[in-house]
Amino acid sequence: MDKIELYLDQVCRGIAGPRSLRQHIRQELREHLLDAVAVHRAAGLPEEQAITKALDDFGGPEEVRGDLETLHGHRLLTTIVDKSLEWKEKTLKARWLWATVAHLALATLIVLDSFFIAWTMIFLVPSYIKVHEDGLLEAANTDVQAYVERADALLMTFVPLVNNIASYWFLWALLLIVVWGLFEWRVRGENKSLMRLSALGLAALVLNVSAALTGVSLLVPYVIALPTLYAQSPERIVRDDTAAIATALERLEKSVAARDWKESELDLSDAWSAIRDLAGRGAAAPALLSLAEQPKIDRLRASLQSASHSLTDVQNAILAKDPERVSATLKTFRDLYQSATSQQ
Amino acid sequence: MDSELLKGTLSLLILSLLSRKSMYGYEIAATVHRDTDGAFNWREGSLYPNLHKLQADGLIAGQWEEKDTGRKRRYYHITQKGRRALREKLKSWNELCQGIKRILELTDGQD
Repeated sequence: MDKIELYLDQVCRGIAGPRSLRQHIRQELREHLLDAVAVHRAAGLPEEQAITKALDDFGGPEEVRGDLETLHGHRLLTTIVDKSLEWKEKTLKARWLWATVAHLALATLIVLDSFFIAWTMIFLVPSYIKVHEDGLLEAANTDVQAYVERADALLMTFVPLVNNIASYWFLWALLLIVVWGLFEWRVRGENKSLMRLSALGLAALVLNVSAALTGVSLLVPYVIALPTLYAQSPERIVRDDTAAIATALERLEKSVAARDWKESELDLSDAWSAIRDLAGRGAAAPALLSLAEQPKIDRLRASLQSASHSLTDVQNAILAKDPERVSATLKTFRDLYQSATSQQ
Repeated sequence: MDSELLKGTLSLLILSLLSRKSMYGYEIAATVHRDTDGAFNWREGSLYPNLHKLQADGLIAGQWEEKDTGRKRRYYHITQKGRRALREKLKSWNELCQGIKRILELTDGQD
């Protein structure tokens, strides 16, 4: 009979007028339905079916309510409540949609960040380490060099951490699956979706920050060292290495002569380290060869610089719209350039 | 049967039934169902707005009565005003039926 009471709630609650009127109408309709149920039960139907048939024969609650409200009027408060419930249902549907979009967006971000970090670790970081070991990433002055070293330290903290995580990726993945499974299984409540969204957001934030820091720590040294990179020659680095070897060997000979074996071991270690560095440098071989030709190389660089500067005269001639002057300055450039490139 | 036709004549049916004796809501619905052999396919819930309208117009009156079963039912009976209204409605109904019958006979004749 709860079904009947529920039906009557739906029919009667919106009828305008005093409460006694609604109660009166409710009582009347209830008696009708109870009589109908009794008749159907007497005809052999089970109670549930009898109730269902009685309600079906009586008509849908919205239709009956509509007819009664047309006659008696409808309650404003009920209308407001109904509209609010309708709005809430629409909002919940919209909320589900937006929550799904947010979940998908964050999940995509996490996947992309993970790919970026993996790609950086596999391809970029080894190249960076090689260039760094070749001593090419040095700033023009020591103040700025500190930034390079800080970026380097940050990267070198991050890289082993990521490598450690990657080494045990299977365990991490298993742990994640277990924790997620427990969350989905055990956690209940209205805030569950928000909690999931927060977890995804946090993970995306951490990965984003990690990716950003990785990118910055790779980029900063290159940007800072770029002017020096253009200015310095690989010969300078190799020259420093050969000087370091010479110094270490000189100290070794002195310590051996003084029979200071402990010092000798240290000096040998320094020499060894210096020669290992030199052997590891990609630019070492051609640079060593060209060290003998250093004056020639310096002259070549100077000639190329002169040729480059002479183009300023060409530009001024073009701006002055002077074709004869353009021809003359262009000839000067060609001569300088030819002279530079034909040096052997 | 077309339920729209029934809607317009429900008041007439109610007054007609109540002119025989006092009845309560379910009794009216069951009597209509029985006397028409179930020809009317209607929503029983539409009975009550009509009953309340007729009561508001003073054509019928209702009171709660408790029977042996202990349950209270609201019995309706026709008033004097209701009897006069019933006579008017019957007259209109008969005129309507005559008019429609004439048109339908003419249409049949042409087929």
